[in-house]
Amino acid sequence: MSLRQSMAGLHTWGGLLPIWLLFVVIFTGTLACFDKELERWMRPGLQTPGQMQMNADDVRQWLKNNVSEELHAYWMHPPTTREPYWQLGWEEHDSGERGRKLFAPVTGEALPDTLGGNFFFSLHYQLHAGTFGMYVVGLAGMFMLVALVSGVIIHRRIFKDFFTLRPNANGQRAWLDGHNLFGVIGLPFHLVMAYTGVAIFVASYMPAGVQVAYQGNPLKFFHEVAGGYHREELEQPGGTPIALERLLADARAQWDGGEVGWISVHHPDDASAVVDIRRRDPSRIGSPQDTLSYDAATGELLNVQQAGTAYRAYIWMAGLHMGQFGGSLVRWLYVALGLAGCGMLIGGLQVWLRKREARGGAGIALVRSLNVAVLGGLPVACLGLLWANRLLPAEWAMRQTLEGWSFSLLWLAIAGWALARRGRAGYRPLAWLAAVLALGLPLLNLLLVPQGHLLASIGRGDWALASVDLTLLTIGLLCLLWVRPRTQREARTRLAEVTP
Amino acid sequence: MMIESSNLAPRLGIFARVLAALFGGYALAYCFTAFLSVYLPLIRADRVVYASLGCFAVWTAAAIYAFGARSATRAWLVIGGLALLLGLAAFLPAELGARP
Repeated sequence: MSLRQSMAGLHTWGGLLPIWLLFVVIFTGTLACFDKELERWMRPGLQTPGQMQMNADDVRQWLKNNVSEELHAYWMHPPTTREPYWQLGWEEHDSGERGRKLFAPVTGEALPDTLGGNFFFSLHYQLHAGTFGMYVVGLAGMFMLVALVSGVIIHRRIFKDFFTLRPNANGQRAWLDGHNLFGVIGLPFHLVMAYTGVAIFVASYMPAGVQVAYQGNPLKFFHEVAGGYHREELEQPGGTPIALERLLADARAQWDGGEVGWISVHHPDDASAVVDIRRRDPSRIGSPQDTLSYDAATGELLNVQQAGTAYRAYIWMAGLHMGQFGGSLVRWLYVALGLAGCGMLIGGLQVWLRKREARGGAGIALVRSLNVAVLGGLPVACLGLLWANRLLPAEWAMRQTLEGWSFSLLWLAIAGWALARRGRAGYRPLAWLAAVLALGLPLLNLLLVPQGHLLASIGRGDWALASVDLTLLTIGLLCLLWVRPRTQREARTRLAEVTP
Repeated sequence: MMIESSNLAPRLGIFARVLAALFGGYALAYCFTAFLSVYLPLIRADRVVYASLGCFAVWTAAAIYAFGARSATRAWLVIGGLALLLGLAAFLPAELGARP
């Protein structure tokens, strides 16, 4: 067997096995480029413009009034242009349970909970399955790297084929051209994203270096590499905490007016309590790692973080993956390349199918059913989640859970339907459903969110928010275009395509 | 279900290559990271981060080689042998790796 033949086998089967999982990862990763805009869209309380009245000490006061358990740590982030709200998170000392709240800009009130845009981000990197999910996604990333490399090896004429698209050729050839086109356009991006993606969790995936150089002690490793500060608990009650705003003012002065990012307070009730203030600099690919650590009671500056080159390199790689730099220009570019990634997967699956449909083979019905279940089911379920967010009353305590169930049940229903039809279901019913759901959301907004609907957001030039509705409209129209009744002539051409 | 004996050998070969790519590949990446973390002439933090960030390329290359090699036996010999050599060199000198 020649190298190209064995690589073709590896590409075909090693690519098919994780392809549906990779679709979930790439599709939700593409959505997560706009997670903060989706977060804002899903929280109508944030859509009213206005001046922020709240400061860091008000946020801490809210925590004191509302959470009585002893805390291991809490952290908060001041409002930014993309995220015009205070974020607060905390971890309880005994149970390890975590909480999260967002605060409306004008009133300073805690916003009702929702899964928010964060849902897509978590689905992207750990499938909402915690550490286990993180390892599964990591393995899928390795399969992707292998599929990309073997794909390049079997690609005989990578440059010439790039300019070859034969949409009217027989199905398999046309899909192969499409698979190649998307694969080659996106190749550098896909390689970089797959590599930096697995590299983000390198400390979990590859503990060998820590094993030989740090006696298997990861904390020692993190401390030395990141240059962060940590103070052991003294098990004594702490003094009166100093005002956070004083520390923030000091931090800004240290950075010559630099912006404040995450503020975290470690074991706040202990005498060893430390306030870490991290700098935020969206003009950098990897945000600078020069956290300032203060004593929470006296306000004494304990440590200025000086991250070594190694850590800076790591942060740069992680930053490249996260795409939180470069504004909407980079985010739309990432979305386009992410969609090219989805196109590559869809094209690859179609090549696999067409090749085997012609001569028959095992597994065709299963692959076809899984395609409808995942390629069709996931996007529709995401739209369903947005509907659940709009329709479930915000004051229900169960809203977050119910949103999660709406997403999961809708996806399961579609998957069940696809499997029951043994892959003969096709995408048209789902495209209809997607069109109705996507076009319905901006209309629903007109009725339900007076400050957040399209006319209001465009009216005040809030393009970040409007872009969510506009994208939904575009998706809906594209779906309609796809399912439109075809004229006889078009139908004949299509028939000619499938029966060569 | 009986597998025809003529099919058995190639199937076992593919199975062995899959194992070589997954487990042999990870073992090689692990030992490669450990080896560079010990022997690179850099400070400890840079040694470990540089070696660890490179490990995924090693795993990918090993997976490609597992299927590109002339036979499954050869794939296992090369990947397993390299992993063993690098691993021994990394883990035998206990003190060397921990230098700052």
